[in-house]
Amino acid sequence: MDIGRRTFIKGAAAAAALAAAGLPAAFPKAALADDGLTWGKAPCRFCGTGCGVLVGVRNGKIVATKGDALAPVNKGLNCVKGYNLSKILYGEDRLTKPLLRQGDKFVPISWDKALDLVAEKIRETLASSGPDAVAMFGSGQWTVHEGYVASKFMKAGIGSNSIDPNARFCMASAVAAFMNTFGSDEPMGNYEDLDLGDTYFLWGANMSECHPILFSRMTANRLKNPKVQIIDLATRFTRTSQEADRYVEFQPQTDLALANGIAHVIVREGLYDEAFLAENVTLKKGKTDIGYGVEDKFSFSDKGEAISFDQYRAFLKDYSPEKVEAISGVPAATVEELAKLYADKNRKVCSYWTMGFNQHTRGTWVNNLVYNLHLLTGKIAKPGEGPFSLTGQPSACGTAREVGTFTHRLPADMVVTNPEHRRKAADIWKVPVEKIPAKPTYHATEMLRALDRGDIRFLWVQCNNPFQAAPNTGRFRAAARKEGRFVVVSDAYPTKSTEVADLILPSAMWVEKEGMFGNAERRTQHWFKQVDPPGEAKEDLWQLIEVARRLGFGKLFEYPGQDLHHALFEEYRRFGLGIGKDLAPYEVYQKERGVIWPYVNGESVKWRYNTEYDPYAKKEKEKGISFYKNKKEHKKAVLWARPYEPAAEVPDGDYPFWLCTGRVLEHWHTGTMTRRVPALHRAVPEALVELHPEDASRLGIRNRDRVLLTSRRGSLELRASVGERGVPGKGSVFVPFFDEHRMINDLTLDAFCPISKQPDYKKCAVKVERIG
Amino acid sequence: MKARGWSRARRCVQLSVVALLASQLAGGGFFRGTLSASTLLGIPLADPLAALQLMLLGVSPTAHLLLGVALVSGFYLLLGGKSFCGWVCPVHLLTDLLERFPGRESLPRLPLKWKLGSLGLCLALTPVLGLPVFEALSPIGALGRAIGAGALSGAGLVLLILVAELFFARRLWCRSLCPLGAIYSGLGRLSPLRVAFEEKRCTGCRRCQKNCLVPEVLEPCIGDKKSRVRSGECSRCGSCIDACPTRALQMSIHKTVEKKEVIS
Amino acid sequence: MSEKPRHSRLAGAGVALLGAAAAFLSLGGRSGNAFLLRPPGAGEPQRFLSRCLRCGACAKACPYGSIRMDETGLAGGELGTPVILPRQKPCYLCADLPCVKACPSGALDAQLRDAKKARMGTAVILEREECLSLKGLRCEVCYRNCPLIEKAVTVENYLNARTGRHAVYEPVIHKEHCTGCGICEHSCILDRPAIRVGELQPESENLYEG
Repeated sequence: MDIGRRTFIKGAAAAAALAAAGLPAAFPKAALADDGLTWGKAPCRFCGTGCGVLVGVRNGKIVATKGDALAPVNKGLNCVKGYNLSKILYGEDRLTKPLLRQGDKFVPISWDKALDLVAEKIRETLASSGPDAVAMFGSGQWTVHEGYVASKFMKAGIGSNSIDPNARFCMASAVAAFMNTFGSDEPMGNYEDLDLGDTYFLWGANMSECHPILFSRMTANRLKNPKVQIIDLATRFTRTSQEADRYVEFQPQTDLALANGIAHVIVREGLYDEAFLAENVTLKKGKTDIGYGVEDKFSFSDKGEAISFDQYRAFLKDYSPEKVEAISGVPAATVEELAKLYADKNRKVCSYWTMGFNQHTRGTWVNNLVYNLHLLTGKIAKPGEGPFSLTGQPSACGTAREVGTFTHRLPADMVVTNPEHRRKAADIWKVPVEKIPAKPTYHATEMLRALDRGDIRFLWVQCNNPFQAAPNTGRFRAAARKEGRFVVVSDAYPTKSTEVADLILPSAMWVEKEGMFGNAERRTQHWFKQVDPPGEAKEDLWQLIEVARRLGFGKLFEYPGQDLHHALFEEYRRFGLGIGKDLAPYEVYQKERGVIWPYVNGESVKWRYNTEYDPYAKKEKEKGISFYKNKKEHKKAVLWARPYEPAAEVPDGDYPFWLCTGRVLEHWHTGTMTRRVPALHRAVPEALVELHPEDASRLGIRNRDRVLLTSRRGSLELRASVGERGVPGKGSVFVPFFDEHRMINDLTLDAFCPISKQPDYKKCAVKVERIG
Repeated sequence: MKARGWSRARRCVQLSVVALLASQLAGGGFFRGTLSASTLLGIPLADPLAALQLMLLGVSPTAHLLLGVALVSGFYLLLGGKSFCGWVCPVHLLTDLLERFPGRESLPRLPLKWKLGSLGLCLALTPVLGLPVFEALSPIGALGRAIGAGALSGAGLVLLILVAELFFARRLWCRSLCPLGAIYSGLGRLSPLRVAFEEKRCTGCRRCQKNCLVPEVLEPCIGDKKSRVRSGECSRCGSCIDACPTRALQMSIHKTVEKKEVIS
Repeated sequence: MSEKPRHSRLAGAGVALLGAAAAFLSLGGRSGNAFLLRPPGAGEPQRFLSRCLRCGACAKACPYGSIRMDETGLAGGELGTPVILPRQKPCYLCADLPCVKACPSGALDAQLRDAKKARMGTAVILEREECLSLKGLRCEVCYRNCPLIEKAVTVENYLNARTGRHAVYEPVIHKEHCTGCGICEHSCILDRPAIRVGELQPESENLYEG
């Protein structure tokens, strides 16, 4: 039974009133006279932290937001992006009508015509080129419902595996490593580890700017506990480095060497937990010299081979501190110190990482390597101890990964290649098992390449901006405009992707539709629809179902007598029950400030695999840790011996600098929302290129001078930032990617990790010239 | 010379100066500043009164400023002194245009010598108030900033003068109040460029004086048969030359008092 | 002119009155001691006002258009002098100081060679009750945008007493390094900036370290 929306909001309003004391709202108090103002809970629209907010609505418009004091994630605090949530829906150029391209212009058409056209184009493509040529580029910003409908639409409706999300660009390496290490995706800990640990290693993550509220929590821990150490391991000095107790700079790509170096010392000194290893860990090595995916149709699959601990010890000989120093620039003594910290029996160690590790041509490997450190020391799956992969998008976990909107995936960690998994899906989806295709087709990068080649003829992009966010965008923007391709983009604002579309569909945003997001700590959070979308904008879910009906499989989404969102979720929930991915009943999400999964017998499992907290683990053994999800490894985690291999494109005489890309606190991703908030745009109006002061001085470049960056794929003019908020290592430059007028991804290289297929946005070669 | 040739030429130059000031609105460094101090293609130009005020404030002028003052002073010393007023100053252009309004002849003219008093007051107040009084109040600067930077906050000063000249006294600012005019009339006293008077051709019609801003300066010629206008107050505007029906007046350069070289 | 008809005397008197009025108005001084942010190298207000020729060359030299010539209003001997309004456009501390180079009279002191040594004013968080960072949110945009980050402004952490598990990141200005450029005021996320550039604060002579 659904909790009535009105009852819910009354409760939320009371909570809001209690929490109102001392909390900032984004609009002046005068505007918030209580008459007609309702408050509803929702998670923030931006990063993977998943802060809770309360949304204030009057007369059908959002007039304010404030932090939700009852949300365990943030307890009423936000960063300045979250602070401005009330403004993101109201940019002037919000899309309100379907728009069809005619030459260089777009003309409004009716929804009926638009949806008929989409169905027609799909039919055409199916007839001429088959289901693989019908593709969907999905999103880690889709709600759980939208992702579920999209996945079912493609895999049970169309019968195509050509669906992949932009989460391929942010988390795929983490996923691949979770799967090949533990047999199950997503971290075993939760945000309380930030309050309970005392030694925090940050690997290639500017956490202060990219997960501000979580970093605030880590900093608070240090204020309360003088033992706490924050160690920032990075290629660039950031505000995180400034806050850290220790900054260790390494050369790009050499995190592989450094992590192995730390393992080397731990093994050499015998600091590893033998009993833990014997009980819970199995050792393997995989293929080496595995390429970089730069060629079209690159294909790779890893093969694991069991090794002994002695073989692993021998493997680590190449990673002595002295050898690591030569590769990475990290002093040998530092490697020793870091290892001692990791292994210190009196320290509760956590490792945090995001894009520095994941957007990496050996991303899966380096994720494996940080797990190795926790497996060697046994510091894993315990309160305040463990590796924690931070997520970039609000629902890369909740939607893309858990629902499985990937080419090779089905919900709840299942894969299309496994006939039993397909059978289970067919059962729940009520389609013949043959309908669900068994072979993965295109991951995100390859999908865009296939569009270029013509292997994909129909592409539907929803809720993200790949023609600004993909690597090597120059090629792909041109691809979208080729003859014989039909590109549909569903979005709320004009973007670089709508620019190259054939058909633009106006989408509802955030609280203009009911939805759920799942954040980095496995907490899925629900919100009710609170305002209507403007004009004729409609939620992506509706768009998909309307097309499904026109294509004859509308009954996949019919739940007679039930509320659609509720029914969709309860069907999806069936996938995860009983296998350690259990979600709670829908009513629980409606009521609570999110709920962590697995949710078993009315309780969330805060630390997975730990018998003290996880009933599934408890079924396996009485005490300790059980990696019960890794059935094919006999319920053990895998320690992978992964070597250092150089980057795909290394600086040389012609292109002597490394180019790294990333974010700033004030903007999110491609800036389509944050740049339309005047205060955020004013704060950071343009992307700048950061240079090390010595490099800048050598090239005669001063702060704010104009600079030309050129790679083998494109060039870009930018103003320089020297000695400001971020200082790259010598020989490196850094550019954020939020600025659609400065498309840095025209310069990046679409090389990727052969295992995860996640592109490396942190390493390619450029040259730098001053132009005035 | 064509009919009204000098007037036309003068108007052209005046408008070119306005255009030069306005060119700043388009950006670029061709011309920057106002007529108090500016750079033209990087060459400094500066007003001698500005330098004088700075010195009274105990500020040693910069080399840049001194060069600019030397260039400007040298230029106007050669070319008539108050030719700045008649040919360059934008305030003078505005008050020229006021002359088209009816009722000009009935307004009184105030004495030229008052400018000296104005200059004296300026220079005296400068060290007392601790700021360059002329630069602070100058309608020339205000008009320059209005044209060159769109800065209208000083426009009130200009309006004040225009109102006074419309209703109270004819050509009040340029004749009797402008301290800069006092300085340039000093330079004009020494300048070799002068209006020459051919007594034989003069019929005494006094059309020259009717068109002159400072008709006093022509009296020694017409009345006392002097061969040239000696007064520094003559702005070399050429209106008298244009007005004379018998070509008794011409622009000329004199090396000494006696020699004559005629330009017409 | 030898004759002075009576109405000429009146005219004279009227003119004199007008002149006096103009002088009084203009030299009367600004009401309220409002702080004006001057371009780099201006030094003390009295020093600057006695040297500035109100020519506008600095405004034209500024590549960002930060220096404005029409912001002084009518009052005082400040009419026509250049002013920076940081909330519109702050000073970006150009390394080659084109404004200083353009100044003909040395009102912007040519001895200033390093833009980071300019001392135009001192920033201060005036609106402590509005500042988002002080409320415990993660803002500190002023800190991150400061061209003298970690010198003129640092961040000090203390525990957020209300939540008990987050830290407050308070931006703290260090006046001995603050140039008064106003980038912080310009960047502030609030509609009315919480941090503003005000009068230059003298260096501390206080022996107590606290």
